[in-house]
Amino acid sequence: MERDPDKFWNPYLAGVALGLVLLASISVMGVGLGASGASLRMGVATLGALAPGLVERSPGLAKAWNHGHPFDFWLSFEVLGVLLGGFVGAYTSGRLKAETLRGPSFPKGKRLLFALVGGIIMGAAARVTRGCTSGQALSGGALMSVGAWAFMFSVFAGGYATAWFVRKEWR
Amino acid sequence: MNLLPFWALSGEARELGLVVGVLIGFGFGFVLERAGFGRANKLAGQFYGTDMTVLKVMFGAIVTAMLGTVVLSGMGLMDLRAVADYATSSTFLWPMIIGGFALGAGFIVSGYCPGTSMVAMASGKWDGLMAVIGVIIGQVAWTSVEHVPAIARLQNASDLGHVYLYDLLHLPSRVGPAVVALAVSAMAIGAFIGAQKIQEIVRRKDALPADTGSPSTARLVFAGFAAFAMVGMATMAIPTGSAASQKQAGALTPMQLARRVLDEPWKVRVIDVRPLAECAAARVPGSECVPSADLGRLSLTDANGARELILVGGAGAAGVPAAAAGYPGRISLLAGGFPAWASFALTPPEAPASGAGPEALESYRLRAGIAAAMTGVKSAPPPPLPVGDSGAPKKKGGGGGCGG
Repeated sequence: MERDPDKFWNPYLAGVALGLVLLASISVMGVGLGASGASLRMGVATLGALAPGLVERSPGLAKAWNHGHPFDFWLSFEVLGVLLGGFVGAYTSGRLKAETLRGPSFPKGKRLLFALVGGIIMGAAARVTRGCTSGQALSGGALMSVGAWAFMFSVFAGGYATAWFVRKEWR
Repeated sequence: MNLLPFWALSGEARELGLVVGVLIGFGFGFVLERAGFGRANKLAGQFYGTDMTVLKVMFGAIVTAMLGTVVLSGMGLMDLRAVADYATSSTFLWPMIIGGFALGAGFIVSGYCPGTSMVAMASGKWDGLMAVIGVIIGQVAWTSVEHVPAIARLQNASDLGHVYLYDLLHLPSRVGPAVVALAVSAMAIGAFIGAQKIQEIVRRKDALPADTGSPSTARLVFAGFAAFAMVGMATMAIPTGSAASQKQAGALTPMQLARRVLDEPWKVRVIDVRPLAECAAARVPGSECVPSADLGRLSLTDANGARELILVGGAGAAGVPAAAAGYPGRISLLAGGFPAWASFALTPPEAPASGAGPEALESYRLRAGIAAAMTGVKSAPPPPLPVGDSGAPKKKGGGGGCGG
């Protein structure tokens, strides 16, 4: 396979491929795709190992903690697959490279800080919305959930509303 | 239709199910990477009009999976609403709008969404790693304050339950999903064409090279969507139950019914056809009280036949009532009717003699467990329930698998 880091699949074909993966998940496992749910399990497991007192003091965390081992969870296995699939995809396309992606004149340290802060916002928001762009927008959207469609339009609205303020990060 | 419901993972299918989980995740990660979703700049391009890949891939995937489920459901292979009730969360309208807006802001600040940040991390991007850590911190931090009354109020506001786009149209259940899927496909194709135009204008203004998308591929995909939307509409014309209703109704033992009700309640629809007063007094968990004279009101002939229809009658079970015979799916009768159920599931079993063999002990444990689960009365010693747990859908309000 030729390795051209600038070559991507045609977006429409990639969409169909992603849709078929989602359809397989829905029809074989009875659930959609997800991502952020596994993050909570991992985070609570880490926190529970470092500071069990903190976990016990919060009802929400204790609930996730008592839910069982983080690997005793289908989403954790799905996420393991995502990491493997992402790695293999990046390796075979020549995009596997340790680097920090950012706009041409944006400092690296600041970019990493922005990535962290944006991640924290998304992590908190995904609890409020019962799912992120994978679990809610993709899976819920395909199954025509009203909330998933409201969420999806809102995500685009939030992105466009904020884009101007962080334009230096990208352009 | 669901070969391996994930909440049954504690059963014998567990290892296979987890392998399938890894495989599905692999496909997810690989496709995201190949679409360019492991690169923040490409994702961010969506919000500056220079690269509409996010919109094209997301809507393309949604339309593909939607058409697939609608066609499968139209062919009677899947009960769309039952699957959706398990796989999606209920609609919390305002939390989803406000949270979605915040998530969109986080998306453009971090350059990723939670799923794509994992792909970026796997392809060596430091910013992807930071976003993954951020999502973990955000999830844990928010979960730790979710019990605060003000936050709980925000988070659980406007709970509309499970509501779908086809519910909003007030169309019959056999017609609604196909009509919505057709409309969404048309809307998506419109959005694709519009997005392409915007992208061309913005790229020309920014003096960027034109995107090298092949228009013939786009046309091919659009034609495929249109074709499958038509197939989805055509399934509405499939006569329901003509062949299926000829089948002989099977008989179930109380044991088989208990297994179905406990292990796979989403696969069965239990209807108690005894007189209303008797059914109201005691019935099989999850069953509907519809006396046989009123069965016609359920219009079972037009119902989706994906779930097994189980009829529970009185002592002298008199075969399948005419109103139920047209049900397109499998029909079963509880052998011996409700009295058989009561003596099996609602009566604690006799404890086996002390010298009883392992088989007798095992059967005692099982029956005692069923009786305990059905009556809520524990008989000692409490045996393990035959229900899967840990991976089970304990998530409140569902959860698309993402925030749960």
